[in-house]
Amino acid sequence: MKRRDFIRDMAAGSLALRFGPVVFAGQASAQAPALQLAAVEGESPYAITKEAVAMLGGMKRFVGKGDKVVIKPNIGWDRTPEMAACTNPEVVKALVELVLDAGAKKAIVIDNTTNQAKRCYVRSGIQEAVKQAGGDMLFVDDYRIKRMALKGAWIKEWEIVLDVVEADKIINVPIAKHHSLCRLTLGMKNWLGATGGARNQFHQGLDKAVVDLAAFFKPQLTVLDAYRILVRNGPQGGRLSDTQLMKTVIAGTDPVAVDAMGASFFGVAPRELPYLGFARERGLGEFQLEKVRLEKRKI
Amino acid sequence: MASQTAFFGLFLYLLLGAHYTGEDYIGSTVQRFFHFDPLLALVTIVSARLVYAYFAFALITVVATILFGRVFCGWVCPLGAVHQFSSFVFKKTKFLKPTREEKTSLAWKYYILIIVLAGALFGLDLAGYLDPFSFLTRSFATAVFPSLAYALSSLSGILYGLGTTGLARSISQTLENWTINVTFIQGFSIGLLFLGAVALNARKERFWCRYLCPTGALLGLLSRWNLFKLKIDEEKCIKCGLCTQHCETQAQPYPNEKWKSGECIYCQNCASICPTGAIRFPVSARPEKMTNVSNVDLSRRKLILTTLLGVVAVPFFRLTPAHKRASLKLIRPPGSLPEYKFLAKCVKCAQCMRACPTGGLQPVLTEAGPEGIYTPMLVPKVGYCEYYCSLCTQVCPTGAIKKLTIEEKNKVKIGTAWVNKNRCLPYALGKPCIVCEEHCPVSPKAIKFLEVETKLPDGSVAVQKAPVIDLELCTGCGICENKCPVMDDPAIFVTSVGETRSVTNRLLLDISKETPADRQGAEFSKRPIEVRRSDSEPQF
Repeated sequence: MKRRDFIRDMAAGSLALRFGPVVFAGQASAQAPALQLAAVEGESPYAITKEAVAMLGGMKRFVGKGDKVVIKPNIGWDRTPEMAACTNPEVVKALVELVLDAGAKKAIVIDNTTNQAKRCYVRSGIQEAVKQAGGDMLFVDDYRIKRMALKGAWIKEWEIVLDVVEADKIINVPIAKHHSLCRLTLGMKNWLGATGGARNQFHQGLDKAVVDLAAFFKPQLTVLDAYRILVRNGPQGGRLSDTQLMKTVIAGTDPVAVDAMGASFFGVAPRELPYLGFARERGLGEFQLEKVRLEKRKI
Repeated sequence: MASQTAFFGLFLYLLLGAHYTGEDYIGSTVQRFFHFDPLLALVTIVSARLVYAYFAFALITVVATILFGRVFCGWVCPLGAVHQFSSFVFKKTKFLKPTREEKTSLAWKYYILIIVLAGALFGLDLAGYLDPFSFLTRSFATAVFPSLAYALSSLSGILYGLGTTGLARSISQTLENWTINVTFIQGFSIGLLFLGAVALNARKERFWCRYLCPTGALLGLLSRWNLFKLKIDEEKCIKCGLCTQHCETQAQPYPNEKWKSGECIYCQNCASICPTGAIRFPVSARPEKMTNVSNVDLSRRKLILTTLLGVVAVPFFRLTPAHKRASLKLIRPPGSLPEYKFLAKCVKCAQCMRACPTGGLQPVLTEAGPEGIYTPMLVPKVGYCEYYCSLCTQVCPTGAIKKLTIEEKNKVKIGTAWVNKNRCLPYALGKPCIVCEEHCPVSPKAIKFLEVETKLPDGSVAVQKAPVIDLELCTGCGICENKCPVMDDPAIFVTSVGETRSVTNRLLLDISKETPADRQGAEFSKRPIEVRRSDSEPQF
């Protein structure tokens, strides 16, 4: 059902692009196929997020009228935004606004946190940002975690947060961070936060788990926050010196390509990350960026 | 009564409010109630040998009792309200039929008071077990709220099943917002004691207040001079005896000369039940005869005997190895005083356990010896110490846990983590894991990883990243133990050794550190330095 929705929306989106107002100002875009990847650098995380989504064709390409949309940031840790352990609240805020402006009925922001949920929601600044933008912040509820068939290469079934899978559209909003076991945690790894159960056992085959989860959730859009990235002591850091300003947001429809470009901020080549290789084999996307329709911009 | 309902409501509101509200510092919550309690004030000051400014509030209660009698018990005490309400229910349902004249001795609460006070002289803090505020707070924090939350959560599960998602969701979101933990190791025993105390009201109205409450006994002794004395208008009195039969606390309004000022809580039952309206409480400055305060025969002989009993109880409570060597599982909350001081001040109210966002703080049963029952300890398997949280230190009413800012708290070590290499996945099975390293909240991390070789059953060798602990950096927060995927007996675990508050429960010899004597002249260093043999040893 989701796939059908996706295809329908893609069709609707391309029609909108074809006959709708010209999105790519100054470019003859009517014939060109839509971008798969847009990276924007700039001072304001809020503005670069909006710009990156606009470059992909605007939020209406992904979200239809009356949709229930789940936005899944990384709110895993009880850390303030400058620690770069959780997604930048301004990025989330921009997305909630875009989703609601695109006509969505609801924009739900949710994450199964590692530290106490309320502390993470409040201290990451995301709760306040979502409230300002008019979205709904939801705590993960034990009764809303159910075992589902993942049909993965490694994980056959697992406990999944129902609020995420029951949404009409899913947007993944990870932050780019160092991770001691899988080197980097980018977009696909963020799906651990939409699972329940004994998820700390995923670490016994983390690269395979990441890909199985990414194949299951299939977001319409991935927006990687690389405004301030965590370069050591991942995935939660704890000192300003663990972070580095990159002032970039990468939005894309290809989750593998988004992660591949995210890796470049750490000086890591895509083929050094085993999960990107697995993901490409599974047909989830492309990590060779030269094969991806992408555009970089500075504002 | 409106006043009791209001105070009980305030108590509930404040106790529920003692959690992470979104602010790092939550200010004064339910602990303020405790500062008005003269028994806790007296016992804490005597047993800890220090006067605390915030116990000045207790003087208000003392003065009010001297002027107006035990109005505190009848109008303010939230546990009294619970007992009065349940007595009322038992009476209405005919479980409780008050006798015409109650003869049971009222002396027990005075004996309890004397034993508690005698113990306090020796630094033994027994007040917390029967003090009404401690008892009620502990019962609600670890048994009543958790049971209600559990029931509500199940209800939301049923509502989800019925398809009423909206209602179900608002219940579960509210519970999460109020942070009510539902796992308490001693929740069942504390809850049983609370139910027992309530059930006793089926035997006698306000059983607790009449026979057990040491705080009520203390206030009773103060009530001798109070200004409002019961007066029966002899001309109107028809000697029906209803007043005495329905007196909540056995104060015996009739006959007038037998009325006990030390038992009366000014509930006004007698005045309102009197068919002829003969009972009033006019102002009278005449002090009550001592024998009339409670009509309890507190003879010198009995007083001496109970005092002795209290004194003898002290060594009896301390026949425990807890004073010789620290218990490995006794991980006290950050900011806790050295053990002997902690025990002298902790009133077992469990507010720290209510405030703990992860539910890791649990009531102790055996780990701290008999005098440490129901004091708090961190059980990392249940919950860990949140790195940026110092709520437990903020809510302690007696300062047994010193108030700490978050920066101060992060410098405190409450224990030390250890790896059990026989169970750890990379060490024992050659499987990747290092979940503990990922969760370690300090930066740089106190858990490092090294590549280790493990021989597998087939003889091959696996190389994996395996955790190693940096003692200098580990604070003992326990998140590693909490998140370890080895479920039954985590392969990484925290014990109390190395805790900042202790000089004896230490791990590494640090004798080259400069001391005050090094900075003084030569003759100063020839004097013996006074050092306690053990910081868990009591003061006498």
